[in-house]
Amino acid sequence: MQQSLAQLVAQANQEAQVIKTRAEMEAFKARIVGPNGSLTAMMKNMVTLSKEERPVMGKLINEAKKSIEELLASLLLKIEDTEISATLGAPLDPTLPAIDPPAGYHHPLSQTRERILSTFRKLGFTVAEGPEIETEWHCFDALNTPADHPARDMQDTLYLPQSFQSADAPRRGQEALVLRTHTSSVQVRTMLSRKPPLRIVAPGRCFRRDAVDATHSANFHQVEGLWIDRHVTLADLRGVLDFFVKETFGPEAEIRLRPSFFPFTEPSFEMDLRSPNLGRLSNRWLEIMGCGLVDPAVLKNCGLNPEEYSGLAFGLGLERIAMLLHGIDDIRHFYQNDLRFLRQFA
Amino acid sequence: MKVSFQALQRHVDLAGITPERLAEVLPMLGLEVESIHAFGLAPLPLVVVGEILEFTKHPQADRLSVCKVDVGDGQPRQIVCGAKNFKTGDRVPLALPGTIMPGGFEIKVSKLREVESMGMMCSAEELGLGKGEDGLLILTAQKPVVGTPLNQIFGAPDTVLEISVTPNRGDCLGLRGIAREIAAALGLTLKPLSLKTPAGLVAQPSATDAFRYIQLNSEFCPYYTARTLRKVKVGPSPEWMRRDLEAAGLRPINNVVDITNWVMLELGQPLHAFDAKQVQEGIVIRGAKAGEELTLLDGKKYQLEAGTCVIADSHRPLVLAGVMGGVDSGVTSSTTDVILESAWFRPGEVRRVARRAGVATDSSHRFARDVDPAGVELASRLATDLLVAHAGAEVFGPAVVAGKPPRAEVKIELPAGFVAQKTGTSVSEAEVAKCLERLGFTIEKTTSGLSVVVPSFRSDVTRPIDCVEEFIRIYGTERVPVGRPIAPLPGEEDTRSSLFTKEVSSRLVGAGFTECCHYTLREAGEIERTLGKSALTQLALENPLTADQTHIRASLLPGLAGALAHNLSVHADPAGLFEVGVVFRPQSDGTIREFLSVAFVTPASSVVRTWKSREAWDGLKAKRFLLDTAALANLSASRLGFAAQSDGLWQKDQSAALVDRGRSAQGACGILDLRWTRSLGIKGTVIAGEFMLPRSAFTESVRTPRFSAFSSFPPATRDVAVIVPQNTSAAEVLSRVQQSAQKAAAKEFELEAVHCFDVFCGPGLPEGNNSLAFEIRWRHSSRTLTDEEANRAMGVVIAALEKGAGWTIRR
Repeated sequence: MQQSLAQLVAQANQEAQVIKTRAEMEAFKARIVGPNGSLTAMMKNMVTLSKEERPVMGKLINEAKKSIEELLASLLLKIEDTEISATLGAPLDPTLPAIDPPAGYHHPLSQTRERILSTFRKLGFTVAEGPEIETEWHCFDALNTPADHPARDMQDTLYLPQSFQSADAPRRGQEALVLRTHTSSVQVRTMLSRKPPLRIVAPGRCFRRDAVDATHSANFHQVEGLWIDRHVTLADLRGVLDFFVKETFGPEAEIRLRPSFFPFTEPSFEMDLRSPNLGRLSNRWLEIMGCGLVDPAVLKNCGLNPEEYSGLAFGLGLERIAMLLHGIDDIRHFYQNDLRFLRQFA
Repeated sequence: MKVSFQALQRHVDLAGITPERLAEVLPMLGLEVESIHAFGLAPLPLVVVGEILEFTKHPQADRLSVCKVDVGDGQPRQIVCGAKNFKTGDRVPLALPGTIMPGGFEIKVSKLREVESMGMMCSAEELGLGKGEDGLLILTAQKPVVGTPLNQIFGAPDTVLEISVTPNRGDCLGLRGIAREIAAALGLTLKPLSLKTPAGLVAQPSATDAFRYIQLNSEFCPYYTARTLRKVKVGPSPEWMRRDLEAAGLRPINNVVDITNWVMLELGQPLHAFDAKQVQEGIVIRGAKAGEELTLLDGKKYQLEAGTCVIADSHRPLVLAGVMGGVDSGVTSSTTDVILESAWFRPGEVRRVARRAGVATDSSHRFARDVDPAGVELASRLATDLLVAHAGAEVFGPAVVAGKPPRAEVKIELPAGFVAQKTGTSVSEAEVAKCLERLGFTIEKTTSGLSVVVPSFRSDVTRPIDCVEEFIRIYGTERVPVGRPIAPLPGEEDTRSSLFTKEVSSRLVGAGFTECCHYTLREAGEIERTLGKSALTQLALENPLTADQTHIRASLLPGLAGALAHNLSVHADPAGLFEVGVVFRPQSDGTIREFLSVAFVTPASSVVRTWKSREAWDGLKAKRFLLDTAALANLSASRLGFAAQSDGLWQKDQSAALVDRGRSAQGACGILDLRWTRSLGIKGTVIAGEFMLPRSAFTESVRTPRFSAFSSFPPATRDVAVIVPQNTSAAEVLSRVQQSAQKAAAKEFELEAVHCFDVFCGPGLPEGNNSLAFEIRWRHSSRTLTDEEANRAMGVVIAALEKGAGWTIRR
C-alpha cells in the first residue's frame, strides 16, 4: 500500500504536466481526491489496516494528500497564467515606439521668462501685471516723459483711435490710448494701488512702431523690476542685478553699470554683461537692460513721498536674453513658430 | 554725433590718449560710442603727386593707356593706367612700388599685357578717401608741387567717433561739450576759447545794421540776437573747415553757410545767416498767421499752422524758427550783406514744429534738446570772427539783442550725506565736491551740506538727485559696492493670472501640446473672420505701420491655425499647438476688454503615421480641456454650459460656445471652419478650443479647501435608460436624472454620481429617437442602503423621467 501511494503521487505529478485547461484540471482533481478518487479510495482502505499500521499509514496518506493539494494549487496558478495571457494577447515588445505623441515644448520665451521670474522670486520679487493697452499718462506722463519731451522720440508708438475705450485702462483725461511701449507702466499701476515696501517683477508684451527685421519686432517682451522702500540705494541695484546675472549666465558673468538716460530713473544706467560662455559673443560687454533709481518725480506722480521713499527699477528684453542664452540670431524665429525651432529648447 | 579726434584737440589736449582709449572712457560717462573709424588719408609715404607728361594707347589693350609720369626726380616713370578722366599735364596721386594700399594690396613693378608699369595712379576710393568721382583723383586745381607726399596735402589721418547722445545731453551736441566731458573724466583742462569779436550786445540797431528793429512777439522765442556783416564774399570755405564738416558728415556748401554749420558743430549752438537784402525793414519773431506759407531750403512749400513760431520781416515769414531757413532769404553766391542770427527757442515747440513739418535738421535736433543760452552770444562772436577771416566780412558794430536769456546757472542745495545715502557708498563730502568741480560746477560748503552752482549749459541738472548721477559718472559705477541679497516680503504673491499661465502651460505641454507665440497685430481679414465686420473699426489701430498689421487680435486661433498650416507645409510633423496670451474683445457697453486667452489646435488624427492607430480627437475631448482650464482658473463647472454658435472661426454644428453664467469667461470648442482651414492648406479637420477670461477675474482669492468625512458603507447602484426625441439635448436629460435622483434621496442619503454610459440610436428604437443610459449611485453616510430604499428611489427617478414630453423608459 505504501508503495502504491508513492506511485499514485508520482503518477499524478506526471499527469499534471499535460493538463492545460480548467476542465482537465477539475477531472484530474476528481480522479484523485474526488469521492471516487484514487487517494480517497486509499483513505477508505485504512479501516482494513491493523492498529499498528494505521498511524504510520495515516501519516503517509496525509503527506501524499498535501503534496497533491500543492500540485493542484500550482496547476491552478499555471492555468490562470495561461488564461490571463490569452486575455492580454501577444507579449509586449517594449522596444516598439509608444503610440501617443510625446510631451510638447514650452516656448523659449516662456522658458526664459520663468527662469528670470524664479530668479527674482528668490529675492522676494513677486509678479505683477498690467494692461497691454495703456493710457499715455501711465505709459509716458507719469513716468516723467511729458508730451514735448525728446525722449518720446526715442520710441515710435502705436496709437488707438480716439473712439477706442479700454475697459482695463480708462482715460484720466483726453489723453490717447497706446499699445504700451514698455512694461514700466506696470510700475505706475503698482505704486498707485499698493503701499511700499514693494518688490515686483512685471513680465509682459510691449509694442513699437518698428519695421520687422532680425533684431526688431512689432511686439516684444520685457520684464520690469521695481523695488520701493526706505533707503533703496545704488548698491542695492548692483546687488540685485549682479545676483540676476550670475544666476542666469553663470558665476563667471560680470556686470557694469554704464551711465545713460531714461526719463523715469535718475541716475540711469545701461547694464552691460560680460561672460566667457556666450559663444561668439563671449568676453565682450553686451547691453542687456536699462536700470536706475526711480526718479523722485515718478514717485511723486504715483502718490509717494520722495523724501520718505526711494526705489530702483530695471527693464530687460526677454527676446534679447533668450537670444543670448541660446545663441539665436534672428528675433523673428520666436514668432514664426516653426516646430523645428521650438523643439530645440526642451 | 560724429566727432573728429583731431577737432576735439582744439578744446582739450589729448596728448598720449588714443581714440581707442576715448572709446572706452566715453561710454562710462553716458556717451555711447556707436562706431569708430578712420577718416582722411592713411599714412602712405610712397604715394606722391605725379604729373602726367604724356600718354599713349596701350599697344595690346584698347582700355589701357601707357603714361609717362614725372615725380620730380628727373626720372619720369612709365605707368599703365585704366582710367580715362585725365589729360596731359594733370597732377594725380601716384603710388610708387612698395606702397601698401589701404585695402592691403602691395604695389609692385609689374607688367600689364607685356608693358612694364612702375606704380599705380590712384582714385579717391583706392586711397581710402571714400567714393569720389570715377577715375583718378585729379589734384591739378590745387596746384600741388610734383613729388610732394600726398599726406602733406591731405594732412594727418584722423579718427571719427560716432557718439550717440541721449536726449538729456544737448550740451554734448557740440565738440566743446564732449571735450568738457573728456576733460572731467580724465582730469584734464578745457582750453579757453579766444575770440576777436568783442562781447556786448545792444538793444537798438544802428544805421549800419541791415534791419531797423527786432520785434519779439512769440513766447517760443525769449532771446534773439542778430548782427549785420557787410561786403561778404561768398565762395568756398578753407580746406580745414571743409574737412571738419565732412568728418562730421556734413556737406560743405559755401563759406557763409559752412561757418554757421562749423560753429554749430563746435559749440552746439545753431546759427542762421540771412541774405540781408531779402529782409525788409526789420526782423519780427512771431506766430504764423492762418494761411501763411513758407518754402524752406529743402525746396518744399509748407502750410504754416497758426501760431507756429517764424522769423519774419515786415512782410512775410522767412524762417521756420529753429528748424530751417526759407529759400527766399538764404545766402546765395550773389549775397554781399548777411544778417547772422543766434537765438534760443523753446525746446518743446521746436520739437513739435519739426515733427509736424516732418523735417528733422541739425538745428531742430539741438534746439529741441535745450541749447545753452549763454552760448548764444558766444557762437555769434565765433562765427563773426570766421566770417571776417574767411569771407572778407566787415563788421560795424555789436550784435542787436531782443529779450533775455531764459535761464541762467542753477544753485542746488545738496544735503550732507545725500550722495552717500543714494549710492550706498561712504563717500565724503570732499570727494563729492571734487567730482562735481571737475564737471565745471562751482561748489561751496555750507552748514547743511554743499551748495552746487550748475552752469547754464547743463539744463538737465536741477535737483540733488541729478547731482548724484553727475557724481557717479565721474566717481565710477564700479566703485559702488554690491548690495547684499535681501529677505522676501511676507504675504506677497504672484498675480493669479501669472500663476494660471504657468500652470495651464505645463498641463498642455504634458498633454503633448507645443507652445507658440504670435504677433498681437493682425490683418483686417482675420478680425472680420473672428468677430464679423463690426469689429473692423472696433479693433483697428490709429497708425499701423504695415498693411498686414492693422488690428489687435481678438483670438489666438488664427495664429495657431496658421502655425499648424506652416508646420504641415514644412513637414515638421505638427501635433497639438497652444498659446497663452492677451486678446481684445468688444463688450456690450462699447468698451474693449483685455482677456487672457488659452487656445489650442490639433489635427483630429495624427499627422505622423503610427504602427497602431490611436483615438482621434473630437469636439468633446476639446471640451474636456476647456473645462479643465476653467477649473484651473477657479471657475466651477456648475456655472459653465455650452451653446450652439455661428462664429466665423468654427464649423457649424460641429462646435459650441462656452456659456459662463458668471458672465466673465468666453470660449468655444469643436472643429474649426473647414473652408477656412482648407484655405490655409490643412487637409484634415482641426480640433480646437479657446478659453478667455479677463485678468481682473483671476483676482478672486482661493479658499483653502476643508476636509469633509466620507461614508465607509457600500453604495447602491441602479441603471436607467430613457428614450427621448433626437433634438433633446443630453444636458436636459442628464439634468432631469440628477434632479430626480437627488430628490429621491431626499435628506436621508446622498446622490453620489450620475454617469451617462450609453448613447444609442438605431434598430429597436422608434424613428427619430435616442436612447441615453445612466448609472445612478446613492450612498448612506452611516449604514448600508437596503434594496427597498434603492428601488423606491429608482421609482421616483423613473416617474420623473416619464413626465418628459415624448420620453419613455427603455425596459
